[in-house]
Amino acid sequence: MALLELEEVRAGYGPTSVLHGVSLSVPEGQIVSLLGANGAGKTTTLRSITGGVQWTGDIRFAGRSLRRMHTEDVVRCGIAHVPEGRGILTELTVDENLKLGSHLRRDGAAVRKDYDRVFEYFPVLRERRRLSASTLSGGEQQMLALARAFLTKPRLMLLDEPSLGLAPLIVRSIFEIIRTINTEDQVAVLLVEQNARLALEMSSEAYVLEVGRVAVRGSSSELTGNDAVRRSYLGY
Amino acid sequence: MQELLQQVVSGIATGGIFASLALALVLIYNAMGLVNFAQGEMAMLATFVALALIDHGMNYWIAFPVTLVIAFAGGIAIERVVIRPVERAPILTLVIVTLGLATLINGLAGFIFGYVPRAFPSPFPVQTVNILGALASYQDLGVIAVSAVVLLAIYLLLQHTTVGLTMRAAAHHPEASRLLGVRVSWMLALGWGLASAVGSVSGIMVAPILLLQPNMMQTIIIYAFAAAVLGGIESPIGAVVGGVIVGVTVNLAGVYLPFVGGDLQLAVALAIIVGVLVLKPNGLFGRPSVRRV
Repeated sequence: MALLELEEVRAGYGPTSVLHGVSLSVPEGQIVSLLGANGAGKTTTLRSITGGVQWTGDIRFAGRSLRRMHTEDVVRCGIAHVPEGRGILTELTVDENLKLGSHLRRDGAAVRKDYDRVFEYFPVLRERRRLSASTLSGGEQQMLALARAFLTKPRLMLLDEPSLGLAPLIVRSIFEIIRTINTEDQVAVLLVEQNARLALEMSSEAYVLEVGRVAVRGSSSELTGNDAVRRSYLGY
Repeated sequence: MQELLQQVVSGIATGGIFASLALALVLIYNAMGLVNFAQGEMAMLATFVALALIDHGMNYWIAFPVTLVIAFAGGIAIERVVIRPVERAPILTLVIVTLGLATLINGLAGFIFGYVPRAFPSPFPVQTVNILGALASYQDLGVIAVSAVVLLAIYLLLQHTTVGLTMRAAAHHPEASRLLGVRVSWMLALGWGLASAVGSVSGIMVAPILLLQPNMMQTIIIYAFAAAVLGGIESPIGAVVGGVIVGVTVNLAGVYLPFVGGDLQLAVALAIIVGVLVLKPNGLFGRPSVRRV
């Protein structure tokens, strides 16, 4: 059974509907990418899952329906959502941001181990622990967001454009660590990306959204190999 | 010189009273961008509760924390019942609601306790003590000590506990905080509870000086506004520093400026508010507000 399942999800903002019946599933421990042009509904799909927009249809996580659940209760089920713009609390320090990630956990020893791992993945965060998060560069903020998501000990991470606005080298290292977290901890990932080539490399399965509907679904290698799909949907 | 020093100590004590109420204003302003005009009345009502407890034979130093707990619970109740239904309403709606709340609490206190000013006990002796040649009253020193302890406790709570961290997070970035599992709505209620408790310290400290009656806090709240604005309405530390500065300034102006005397002290506070808003709108500790256009 899939960890996350969306069934005919329709969602929108006020009178504007954005999703016109999206169905997709993320298997346990897998990386699934969600591709599509600007405005196709990728971000709205993620926001539906964590209750940031009103939706109809059904969304199930680990067999349990998320209907009418508040955002804070959804994420407490084990979903970490790194939103568009990263959701860094710039008034707080780097350390305080990380603490917000782990503040609901009661497994103290494991938390300390996870902090060690976070600082091993992102040494720069250890150096800047006491600084205001607003002093971090874009890449460092993305690292902080990812580290914080990891510290919530999620079963599923929703990542909204982790590569946005970052230099290619930094993107590489961040994606490396996403993969490490995925393989070592069996954390499933639903990855929204503009950079389709990169996303397909990372994921086992992919969905392409087109104006609020799933236009193409397939294994990532299939989609990479399919010239027609590549030209019309992925733009390279 | 001695006289000056005495007036400064006395001003710091008054400043502690302003600072507590100013901090209460800042806590709620930070949580929801709202100036709570009912803050003074909430403090006044809590002071009546304290008096009732003491009149029933409770020891002052037991009645004090018990009152704070009651005020805390009362603040949460007010948020849940009165504020929550209009939580997402425009800010003007919220302001009108707090004004209504102020009137309501004022009337309620008058109805229950009457308008006759009552003496409120002070736990501090009336004697004075000689510090470096200046005579300071135990009353003033006691108020300074109590205010300092309460303000320090709030600081530690906000800066060094998980609850404090989630409260600050919820205040600054409600959306991002929700995604981290913070119950933002409850943090708001907690903010009201905390503000109510801190504010009531101000009422209890000022009551022995002013005599307790339903309108007791109506001038104090103006001084607290001045303190909060001077410190930068978003800054808890600013509220405390602002409170002390306003307290000392008002006290010294009352003594040394013959035309101010006791009658125009409030005008000094208003002058501070206007002056700060004209010259340095973000106050001493506030961050400049940047708006994308």
